[in-house]
Amino acid sequence: MEYIGEHTLVGNLGQAFISIAFAASLLAAFSFYRASKNEKLKLEWLPLARGAFYTHGLAVIGIIVCMFAMIYGHYFEYQYVWQHSSLDLPTHYMISCFWEGQEGSFLLWIFWNIILGVILIRKTKKWETSVLTIVSIIQTFLVSMVMGVYLLGVKIGTSPFILIRNLEENLGLPWTEMANYLQVVPQFLDGRGLNPLLQNYWMVIHPPILFLGFALTMIPFTYAISALWKKQYAEWVREALPWTYAGIMVLGTGILMGGAWAYEALSFGGFWAWDPVENSSLVPWIILVAAAHLMLIFRARKAALRSTFALTILAFLLIIYSTYLTRSGILGDTSVHAFAGGLDYQLLIYLISFVVVSVALFLVRLKNIPTIEKDEDSSSREFWMFIGSMVLFISAFQITWFTSLPVINKVLGTNMAPPLDAIALYNSWQTPFALIIIFLVGVTQYLSYKKTDLKKFIKQIAVSLILAAVLAVLIASTVQMWHPLYLVLLWATLFAAIANFEYWRKILKGSWNLSGASIAHIGFALVIMGSLLSNANKNVISSNEGFIAKDFPSNENILLEKGDTTAMGNYFVHYKSDTLIGINKTYEVEYFDLQENGSFEYQFTLHPFIQLNEIMGNVAEPATEHFALYDVYTHLTYADVDEHDTTDPYHHESLINIKQGDSVIYNKHFLYLDSLMVNANTNIESSRALDVMLIAKIRMQNMQGEISKTDAIYAVKNNIAQSFPGFLEDGELKYKFLFSEVNPEAGSIQIKAYEHIDNEKPFIVMKAIIFPYINVLWIGMVLMAVGTFIAMMQLFKQSKS
Amino acid sequence: MKKTEIVLILLVAVIIGVIMSLTFNASTYITFAVAEKRMGKEFTVIGELNKEKEIHFEPRLNLLTFYAADSLNNERKVYYHDSKPQDFERSEKITMTGFATDTGFVARTILMKCPSKYNEQQHIDQDSITTSSY
Repeated sequence: MEYIGEHTLVGNLGQAFISIAFAASLLAAFSFYRASKNEKLKLEWLPLARGAFYTHGLAVIGIIVCMFAMIYGHYFEYQYVWQHSSLDLPTHYMISCFWEGQEGSFLLWIFWNIILGVILIRKTKKWETSVLTIVSIIQTFLVSMVMGVYLLGVKIGTSPFILIRNLEENLGLPWTEMANYLQVVPQFLDGRGLNPLLQNYWMVIHPPILFLGFALTMIPFTYAISALWKKQYAEWVREALPWTYAGIMVLGTGILMGGAWAYEALSFGGFWAWDPVENSSLVPWIILVAAAHLMLIFRARKAALRSTFALTILAFLLIIYSTYLTRSGILGDTSVHAFAGGLDYQLLIYLISFVVVSVALFLVRLKNIPTIEKDEDSSSREFWMFIGSMVLFISAFQITWFTSLPVINKVLGTNMAPPLDAIALYNSWQTPFALIIIFLVGVTQYLSYKKTDLKKFIKQIAVSLILAAVLAVLIASTVQMWHPLYLVLLWATLFAAIANFEYWRKILKGSWNLSGASIAHIGFALVIMGSLLSNANKNVISSNEGFIAKDFPSNENILLEKGDTTAMGNYFVHYKSDTLIGINKTYEVEYFDLQENGSFEYQFTLHPFIQLNEIMGNVAEPATEHFALYDVYTHLTYADVDEHDTTDPYHHESLINIKQGDSVIYNKHFLYLDSLMVNANTNIESSRALDVMLIAKIRMQNMQGEISKTDAIYAVKNNIAQSFPGFLEDGELKYKFLFSEVNPEAGSIQIKAYEHIDNEKPFIVMKAIIFPYINVLWIGMVLMAVGTFIAMMQLFKQSKS
Repeated sequence: MKKTEIVLILLVAVIIGVIMSLTFNASTYITFAVAEKRMGKEFTVIGELNKEKEIHFEPRLNLLTFYAADSLNNERKVYYHDSKPQDFERSEKITMTGFATDTGFVARTILMKCPSKYNEQQHIDQDSITTSSY
């Protein structure tokens, strides 16, 4: 049977590209492996291996082009297009559609791996064959996730090119047998559309950067495994170092951008919530940072090689673990934004294979990895860098362990629930870790490798320590943050920032080439400082004083009636208007300051809005006013988005059918139709009525027998009917009666009666939070990326020389 | 003993601490009846939303009330002092942390799970197909 209107070409082409990409990556893995054996085999196999890898790359680009073609063409017969896009979606969000689903985001990752693979082919020289063997194996696993084929009855991967009629749950349904199903099934006219939360510019840039970060962690891993495999334990570190820093920079930026997206576009009120999905990308980053510092120790002192291997490998294994956690559906109960499941067994196989092979290889080679017998001096830089790396490791361990609760439950068969206040628990563990790390970030630069002259060291850091203490007290006093642990952490972050700046200025003589570490460390210190100051002192200014229980505020939201001005924190807020622009209903809220003379002074206006989405539900998006020293963050927690007619105060329509002379009971009143008068102006020649006026004489009697009367008039003039209502009052009660139609057969007329109800003023319910010093966090984020970039460039230069 | 060994021993000690900490801090999923034995103490209950009964949100009071049944199918009225989450009516399982009172369960946080969001998307309504098209 020929289906009408289907675009099967693009799907078949895409599916063919998937098969080619898979086969080519397998071939590449095998031939790179053969080529890595010896020089003779290398000559034979290397051209084939490279050819296979390039073919794989081109095939993946083919897959991506096919996917864009079907998204751009709105081919809703494809499940991926139907589920993630719609006709009214702007073109720039079609890019986000591409990676909204499992399949697309895997392809994004595969794509970055190819770009890096091609660079590695050109740059790695003697490491090429072994490194690319591992890259190709990784690619084989990843491409299998989007295969969508059945092998011996087991489904492997989910293809982005599957037609809805071919989905398992639809097979055999009557409509799939209809040639014209695309024309007659209304659901195929339009897709479900992109999740409103993702219709945001951050979602166009955050995923590619995060996945590039994921891809970059692969490179140090492949070097480390190659080194163990080829028993060349030392040289790899110098080559892997700049890539490790590239990974730190990109992954770190990606994670913090995710935080920025959460802060700007989501309404959970903050940039970090220790959500499992956030945690599982933070943990590999922390381990990668630890691994990078161990590599520096090894480069300088030929020490700590075993831990360098261990942590470098661990960083990538944690990326796979994170993929498993977020995509297998196992987090379902504990995370708000994990992917749906479906690939759990395949992901588990991927994870277990890599863990088993890497760990086994590491353990087999462990004895041969060179170590230094002599103990490090406790005043040496390498000793404290090692300590720092271990603290980072523990910090990552704590986050992973707590995040893995659902996995632990599954393995042990227990039924533990997440801690009641998980955020507080994470903070209480991580604050001391952060304190040690930050302090080490400040002092370690001043320590020398081997042995440090302690007197000189203390002299060098003393000024920074004192200056930081003074600043800490000053800053703490502006937000009244006197919790001792927080105060010490603030002091440590200030110290780390100042000490690193002084180190760069005095000891590195302000050299830009060598500034990487200092700038990145200052950035890291500022990120921690910004998180501490903005989170520990965040002030929900919309909350009232009532509490239901200890630490359980009864109401963190404020209710604003349209046109009214209400006190909120130090502000007076005024809900001025609301407008519907496209799919966004925007609310205009003005902020005023109360002056000493009692007058209000206008400060700023915020426009929180609600994105209307019938299919997935409306989404409230926050609005934030940024100041140098603090942010005022608001989002709507309730707003009536429907349009109401505010001019007519009569509601609760009742239909009354009544004959002349009859009575009915309406709202505890007797209602009489005393008479029905007809007033016709007839054209005598044609004896047709030109103008007709019907007058219903209505009488109303209340329980006390009090009577009031009115007329409801129905008029036809020049063939246009018009109704003039009559109004009646009984004390506070007011009614309106509308003569709506004549029913000649029954000999009755129909009257619509309405009660007068004062119109409710439209209102919104809003949450408003002040985040002090949050800009410190964003500045830190930029400095960290810039500093890591400079360090990376310097390391690339060194690895060449 | 080498200093690195001391560091490693400390490391292991902290790791054991972390492992233990989770088991001590983890709450348990319990039923309403257990929560009612210790009124006022916070617990986590996984319940199923009763969609037959009224789900009422009073924006002026900032109060959401609904009925949920726990794993033993005991139903309680739940009070949630915050705005109604997006798509609340469609949720099936609701994870609630909060405490029991005489009149019902007071939830501090609720986390919903909507399987329908993902799984029922491909559902094509057979009735919506116009028969005239055959």
